[in-house]
Amino acid sequence: MSEGFSRRSFLKLAATAGAAAAVPGCQPAARKLIPYVVPDENVIPGVPQFYATTCTECGAGCGVVARIREGRVIKLEGNPADPIGKGTICARGHAALQGVYNPDRLRNPMRRQGSSLKTVSWDEAEKLLNDALKAAAAKGKNRIAYLGPAHQGPTLRAITEAWLAAYQSYRGIFYEAISETPARDAAEMCFGQRDLPVYHLNKAEVLISFGADFNETWRSPVELGRQFAEFRAPQARRGKLAIGYAYYVSPRMNITAGRCDEWIAAPAGAEAAIALSVLNVILSQGWVSPNAQIDVAGLKSFVASYDPATVSQQTGVPAKTIEAMGERFGKADGAVALAGGDDPATHAAAYVLNVVTGNLGRTMEFLEGMPPEPETRTNDVVAALDSMRNGEVDVLFINETNPVFSMPPAWRAAEAIQKVPLVVWAGGVPGETAEYAHLLLPLHHPLEDWRDTFPRAGVHGLGQPVMQPVFWSKPLGDLLIASARESGVKNAAPWENSQDALRTGWMKLNPKAAAADAEGFWIQSLREGGYVEPTQQAQVKLNVAALKTSPASRELPKLVLAAYPHPFLYDGRGADKPWLQEIPEPVTQIVWDSWAEIHPETAKQYGISKDEVVEIRSSEGVIKTAAHISERVCKGVVSVPIGQGHTSLGRYAKGVGANPFVLLKPGQFSAAVTISPTHTTHELATALFKEHELGRSIVEAQTITELANGVKPKEWQTDEVPKPYEMYPTWQYPVHQWGMTIDANACTGCSACVAACYAENNVPFVGRENVINGRIMSWIRLERYYPEQKYEHQPLLFLAPMLCQQCHHAPCEPVCPVFAAYHTQEGLNGQVYNRCVGTRYCENNCPYKVRRFNWWKPEWPEPLNYQLNPDVTVRGAGVMEKCTFCVQRIRHAEINAMIEKRPVRDGEIVPACVQTCPTHALSFGDMNDKNSEMMKRRVATNNDKRTYRSLNELNTQPAITYLRELYNEREKA
Amino acid sequence: MAAAAEPVSGPTYADIDRGVRKIMEAPGFVYWVWVGFCFTLVAIAAALWTRQIYVGLGVTGLRQGPMWAMYITNFVFWVGIAHSGTLISAILYLFRTRWRTAVYRVAETMTLFAVLTAGLFPIIHVGRPWYAYWLLPYPNERSLQPDFRSPLVWDAFAVSTYLTISALFLVMGLIPDVANARDVAKGWRKTLYTILSLGWRGTDTQWQHWSMAYLLLAGLATPLVLSVHSVVSWDFAMAQLPGWHSTIFAPYFVAGAIFSGVAMVLTLLIPMRKIMHLEDLVTEWHIDNLAKVVLLTSLIVSYSYGVESFIVWYGKDPIEMMTFHERYFGPHGWVFWVCIFCNCIAPLPLFSPRVRRNTVVLFIITIFVNIGMWFERFMIIAVSQENNFNPSQWAIYHPSITEIMITVGSFAWFLGLFSLFARFMPIISMTELKEGIHWLREAVRDDYYPGLK
Repeated sequence: MSEGFSRRSFLKLAATAGAAAAVPGCQPAARKLIPYVVPDENVIPGVPQFYATTCTECGAGCGVVARIREGRVIKLEGNPADPIGKGTICARGHAALQGVYNPDRLRNPMRRQGSSLKTVSWDEAEKLLNDALKAAAAKGKNRIAYLGPAHQGPTLRAITEAWLAAYQSYRGIFYEAISETPARDAAEMCFGQRDLPVYHLNKAEVLISFGADFNETWRSPVELGRQFAEFRAPQARRGKLAIGYAYYVSPRMNITAGRCDEWIAAPAGAEAAIALSVLNVILSQGWVSPNAQIDVAGLKSFVASYDPATVSQQTGVPAKTIEAMGERFGKADGAVALAGGDDPATHAAAYVLNVVTGNLGRTMEFLEGMPPEPETRTNDVVAALDSMRNGEVDVLFINETNPVFSMPPAWRAAEAIQKVPLVVWAGGVPGETAEYAHLLLPLHHPLEDWRDTFPRAGVHGLGQPVMQPVFWSKPLGDLLIASARESGVKNAAPWENSQDALRTGWMKLNPKAAAADAEGFWIQSLREGGYVEPTQQAQVKLNVAALKTSPASRELPKLVLAAYPHPFLYDGRGADKPWLQEIPEPVTQIVWDSWAEIHPETAKQYGISKDEVVEIRSSEGVIKTAAHISERVCKGVVSVPIGQGHTSLGRYAKGVGANPFVLLKPGQFSAAVTISPTHTTHELATALFKEHELGRSIVEAQTITELANGVKPKEWQTDEVPKPYEMYPTWQYPVHQWGMTIDANACTGCSACVAACYAENNVPFVGRENVINGRIMSWIRLERYYPEQKYEHQPLLFLAPMLCQQCHHAPCEPVCPVFAAYHTQEGLNGQVYNRCVGTRYCENNCPYKVRRFNWWKPEWPEPLNYQLNPDVTVRGAGVMEKCTFCVQRIRHAEINAMIEKRPVRDGEIVPACVQTCPTHALSFGDMNDKNSEMMKRRVATNNDKRTYRSLNELNTQPAITYLRELYNEREKA
Repeated sequence: MAAAAEPVSGPTYADIDRGVRKIMEAPGFVYWVWVGFCFTLVAIAAALWTRQIYVGLGVTGLRQGPMWAMYITNFVFWVGIAHSGTLISAILYLFRTRWRTAVYRVAETMTLFAVLTAGLFPIIHVGRPWYAYWLLPYPNERSLQPDFRSPLVWDAFAVSTYLTISALFLVMGLIPDVANARDVAKGWRKTLYTILSLGWRGTDTQWQHWSMAYLLLAGLATPLVLSVHSVVSWDFAMAQLPGWHSTIFAPYFVAGAIFSGVAMVLTLLIPMRKIMHLEDLVTEWHIDNLAKVVLLTSLIVSYSYGVESFIVWYGKDPIEMMTFHERYFGPHGWVFWVCIFCNCIAPLPLFSPRVRRNTVVLFIITIFVNIGMWFERFMIIAVSQENNFNPSQWAIYHPSITEIMITVGSFAWFLGLFSLFARFMPIISMTELKEGIHWLREAVRDDYYPGLK
């Protein structure tokens, strides 16, 4: 499809496309334009269709349900049948839509001629590829290499391997820049097997995370976030109301750390030492569980050199803190240690901590039948690069991965790739690696393609195409199968196409059901988005003998770089999606940029001021990025998020920020660096002004003791508002009064609600300049405040979603001269876009500042506009807009109820933010119905003692009631 | 009359006619350069506004937080300027104040053009100016009416009423003078003045009706002096934003309006008097009295600042205290101190009669007052919004070039229109000067004003 493809012709095609998606077939797309006068029975304009499929934005493999309108996917939501996401997805999942509609996606096959790219037909492109493959295969074995992501699913993996085999090559490289290899190495060391365990944080009462950002990118953030919220929810423990106690050990306080009780600031590389030291405390104090059946004496040598005093000296973490961590962990009734980062010793220490305290099989368990290790071992990757460099590879096929961007500079990936005579790059948005390709092939986006996922034992995700491809792309599976057939090798790829391959493999999952009714099993799986089978715990035993010697402690340089994956951009793959660029990083609240976080003391030492561009130099390379001075980073550490610094990858990623990969040694995410100010400044864009809430009741918190005793936190002793004088008759809500309960304690800061709102409500993204100029458009934001020093007890962060409070006494309504802002009979603060003149008085008078003005005409470069929700008006320049509690969903449910002649059921209406919240921090319902789930939440388990309304003293009477954030009182250091 | 025997000292009726008609003679090259300059600036502002309408308000420096800033500042500033006109022409007329005769036409003209300028700003300010008429009630098939609870609707009424009354007042007062000009004019001027003089022949009946109509209009206009700016102040006082939500606003704004308006009259009058050699008609006596009004209103404004801050301190509301702290010492704290200097300190020398009569010093002081009053409105409007209830949504407003040029354009538009009027219409009321000629003669003769003949 060309760029000139109009909306009209899309609609025409959509009529067929919807049908084709409904009866999926991965044949080349039907390209006949059928006029709408012959409508397809499956497509009723205005009625959405839903297809279960899977999310492939990360390796977690959440199931999603795609909402299709008139043949286009407009929204992704979690699949309730999926055991991982349980009906919710994260911000990155939502942004998959901007992958499929990305305006910078490769639109047709292209061939590099000299310095320019020339469009070629698929036939030409495939012939070129196949001829090269045949020639290479004729020259000998292993002359062809494939480079792809690790999490591409079992079927595509099988097809890839079959294709390579057809051309006599075994160089399949499945590479992830942010690797699980250290965790697997540690598992092998501890348990003699390389499977990763699964965790149950909700079964613990103490949690220590050694740099595992489980609410952001680590393993399966949606699932772990949900477990963490359960862990932090107040519940009776030993006859007392309690919440889980959480520690986070890392160089930087990220949002996961911000939701814990204590953030232990450790220099990058010190996590292992601290973990081993905690283990040392537990072993020496004898807090070892008898159930663990561990040779404690044998283990002692493992941690011998890590007594708290020594470690304290090395890392600067007080010995008392380490001892307290050990004590809490050792004495807990259920505890879990998690490890992230590049050091296998950290992972090993965390595993051993879980085992010795008897938590193996409880908070951490190994399952039978885990998927095979998807990543290629580092040695093999390096070997493959070497052989490319030596001219031993004739054809390199790169699928999606971006080695030029994400591989450590020591591997000299670009140089190796340049030595290959034919580099084929296939994927969506061409990135840095594609610049080196001779042939560029557009691939179907996962949402346009068949796929399966196998994230862990017992969970098989099945993905189907949910719509016709947007561009002239092909599915990778089909491409490789067709190419394998060309090889002339008999039965090289024993499938018709990738759908056939998928189905063949799928039937093997449950041979019994397949034998009884293959079609039924298949349709059932498609409907449910996968197949879930019961799992069995694997019996593993700690191999104490292998842990005889203490791991050597890492050297801690004077100034160390701590690179970490950006929660939304991850290893850089999210940078081409404007939503992910524009959703603020939850702690720093910075958007559209990368930054070097530096402690004020360190900054002073190096003479660095706020927003000053600094040059960070390691033995591997140098980057320049602006400094963000914050107390939420360890002294002597420069912390830089990974994900930005693209020199390619489309208009949204190109030229934004800096890429810390160029500073890193292979297999490490920290590096000794030097830093120097450049005396130029670069303003870091953020939509947040003050860091402190100045004692105002916006986000409130209280200690669990206060909650248990039923006392109000002393910081917020606001008086109850006396019964107000009403000048006008007060609003009556005869049927419904919609309201929300937001549990600030359950909010992990994952920002999925923000992304969901962008997708559902056609909220435009505005870009860096406009964010700096105060024109961010998000209807819901995370209100993040740092605690002020003046109070004795404080949580690490104040955090809660802030959206329109739908006030009963709304300050915005009476000031509107034209009734554009008005009060609905159901308690909403309505906004009639057509009536709005744009005086902006409503926003002036809104104390929460949740109204958004359209300073410009919103723009979605084609085909990003295909994603717009037809149920929601696209606002033009000059009008005010705001959160509507997803009024289109309310109306939808009310109309359905009316047709069925029944009242609206509780839980039938779910606004987009509520729907997607992985921790169910938000709930929606009718305030007139005291038995609604939402209203009950305001009183359940002492919750009536922790409700508050934001800025209550203004007597706006919001329909949103917050539940205060909870935290444990910390011992004074 | 007994006086007929004595030689007439001071200006005669003929002097007055000659003096005013002289201003209305064909202007010279310098004048046209000045007018051309003004309207070039207006054209630039108009072009920028057109662009703003086309692409959206993104071209301004407005943002989340300060959603109202320079445009509304200009609106309030110009409405304020407009106030002294009606004060001088209506209230002082009813009180039969003697010194108003020479200056009231200037003040009234200034009022009309200031309201015309002010009225543009709400339209420039809104997101969809082509729908701005929705603020007015008009019959429509959907029975949609404006929300009468909204201060902006009151504003629309107040300002449009004010515009109507002040335009009528000016046109009505002009009739005898235009007729006077008609009698000597030629060419197109003759046609224009004939139309505007509405067949005035100066008969007793006409004079009688005219006087009564003028008196009635003065009576109608008098409450507007107090009400219009009170209503404008309620745009802010009715909101709950700290720094806006205050009961003192109505008198505070009215005093400020008269303060700035009279200062603006002086700013216009002093150079005009010099350039057009009107010292005989606009005497130091007139100027001195205007300066006294400036001084009085300056003291009221200073008092209001004090009370406003005192009430905040006395009320002990932490959020309001914070807003005022930021107002004094925040990033835009300098705006407050500019206001204090220009509005409270700079006019204090006016206690001295010598300063009041030194037109150069007086002119400088009135310029300070104009600047100070502009910044006072900026401080109240923009700086209060910068420090709103939600600290994460605080912001610092930086005006964009569009806003600055439109503001400059508004001054050019005002001065340009005023300049045109001053040379083509009787800018000094011949009628009233003649009515009060003995006062004028006294003023010219009085030893109290040495330096005059």
